[in-house]
Amino acid sequence: MTAYTKQDVLLQATDVCLSYDGTPILHDINFSIRNIVRPGVSQGQVISLLGRSGVGKTQLFRLMAGLQKPTSGSITINGNKQVEAGDMGVVFQHYYLFEWKTIYQSLRMATSQNPLLKGNEKEAIEKWAATFDITACLHKYPQQLSGGQRQRASIMQQLLKGSKFLLFDEPFSGLDVCVLDKVVDMLLQVSMADELNTLIIVSHDIETSVAISDTVYILGKEEGGSTIKKEIDLVERDLAWHKDVRRNKAFADTLDEIKASL
Amino acid sequence: MKKLLQPFAVVSKQTFIIMVLFQVVLALVLWHTTSNGLMPQPGKVAAALIQLSTTKLLIDNVLVSLTLTLKAMLYAIIITLCFAYLSVLPFFRSIAEFIVKCRYLTLAGLIFVFTLLTQNGSALKLWLLIFGIVPFFVTSFLSVIVNIHQQEYDLCKTLGYSKWRTLYEVIIVGKADKVLEILQQNFAIAWLMITMVEGLSMSEGGIGALLIKYNKYNDLTNVLALQLVIFFLGLFFDFLLATMRRWLFPYTTLATK
Repeated sequence: MTAYTKQDVLLQATDVCLSYDGTPILHDINFSIRNIVRPGVSQGQVISLLGRSGVGKTQLFRLMAGLQKPTSGSITINGNKQVEAGDMGVVFQHYYLFEWKTIYQSLRMATSQNPLLKGNEKEAIEKWAATFDITACLHKYPQQLSGGQRQRASIMQQLLKGSKFLLFDEPFSGLDVCVLDKVVDMLLQVSMADELNTLIIVSHDIETSVAISDTVYILGKEEGGSTIKKEIDLVERDLAWHKDVRRNKAFADTLDEIKASL
Repeated sequence: MKKLLQPFAVVSKQTFIIMVLFQVVLALVLWHTTSNGLMPQPGKVAAALIQLSTTKLLIDNVLVSLTLTLKAMLYAIIITLCFAYLSVLPFFRSIAEFIVKCRYLTLAGLIFVFTLLTQNGSALKLWLLIFGIVPFFVTSFLSVIVNIHQQEYDLCKTLGYSKWRTLYEVIIVGKADKVLEILQQNFAIAWLMITMVEGLSMSEGGIGALLIKYNKYNDLTNVLALQLVIFFLGLFFDFLLATMRRWLFPYTTLATK
């Protein structure tokens, strides 16, 4: 098994509840994400939040993104800071970008929010564009890009903003097998970019999510609203950070376990 | 041929042009054959149009009407944008909603009020026209704002933008192309109203005043010739605004790859 230690808490959700007009949607959501450190490897965390359709994944996604406030409870990052809109990088389903801005203009919007890039915005955009292979698209509008280019531009925009947390809403939805592999590679590339990069994937695609994650949380319905029903530490099961993990029997068993919990 | 009468059938551009030409010819033939003594035949209207277009009278009156319309459109769009942008502030929301409801007011009943409020005939016409146009502009622009997708606001929030910056990016910059679209769509309304308001103060002339004059003497040939002028000018401005929109906002015409 790969040697690792779990260090500081990066994100903490405590007793998070959400209800609309008295109807409970989420209740008692409690989980924490820690910085997993492996000797000699610089890689961030990849957490998957799985659940059936309509279980409240998107609501929890919006709470974590700071786009919505919980009815009660709190989500904190970096010690004790209450999460607010802008703290997290958020990559929406279908990779939304402003249609009236060129990719370069959209990326400039993000760099202008990142104090660490002040004075070096152009260079940072060029560097990341080369890494993500979208240099040729920088002066095009989103409508002129392919789905893959759009996705890379969208992720890049959030990375350039400077947030270590990246939330992905259904990143594997509606992708064919070839594109799916590329998306997986892209997410791993982002997680490898910095030790503290933390990717939180909200999805109902169990297999793909588990294959790239180190921790899985299962959101399930209960009487008083949905809650985290199970936490699976994939590192403990030696199922994290392996490229060919899908061939492992323990992986298949874990998938069965997750399906049974949904 | 069969396709032309099939629901959702797609026809080539060439077929479409031939079809339109055929429809125009058919309409002209029908007009020509069914015209009696009172209704002038298309040939006579065309002759009157040619004769009118060579006179200074038409050019002068068209210029008067165009100046008034463009002036009113300019003021109307400024007023509209102010109220539409401010409508995201709860205090101005109700005012914007009230302006939308003003579509149901008729100008005829307000002429006296506007006469009291304005200095002269020229100002009366201008403000009546503005009052007539603004509710339609505000209605169109508010519907643009209401239909903005939540993700557009969310993207700004995730970038850490303040609410004012979000207003600027999503509504003012993001929907700038819609301003021209609204102008294009509502130009017809302004053009429709011009003939009415020009009838109120005929001393300055204008295409509306000219139309009323010809109408008064039952000069139907010139009335129809003038209607054609109004129609073609409308089409020209429609084309002009659409071209301007494509030029200023190229992303509006980009096809999704």
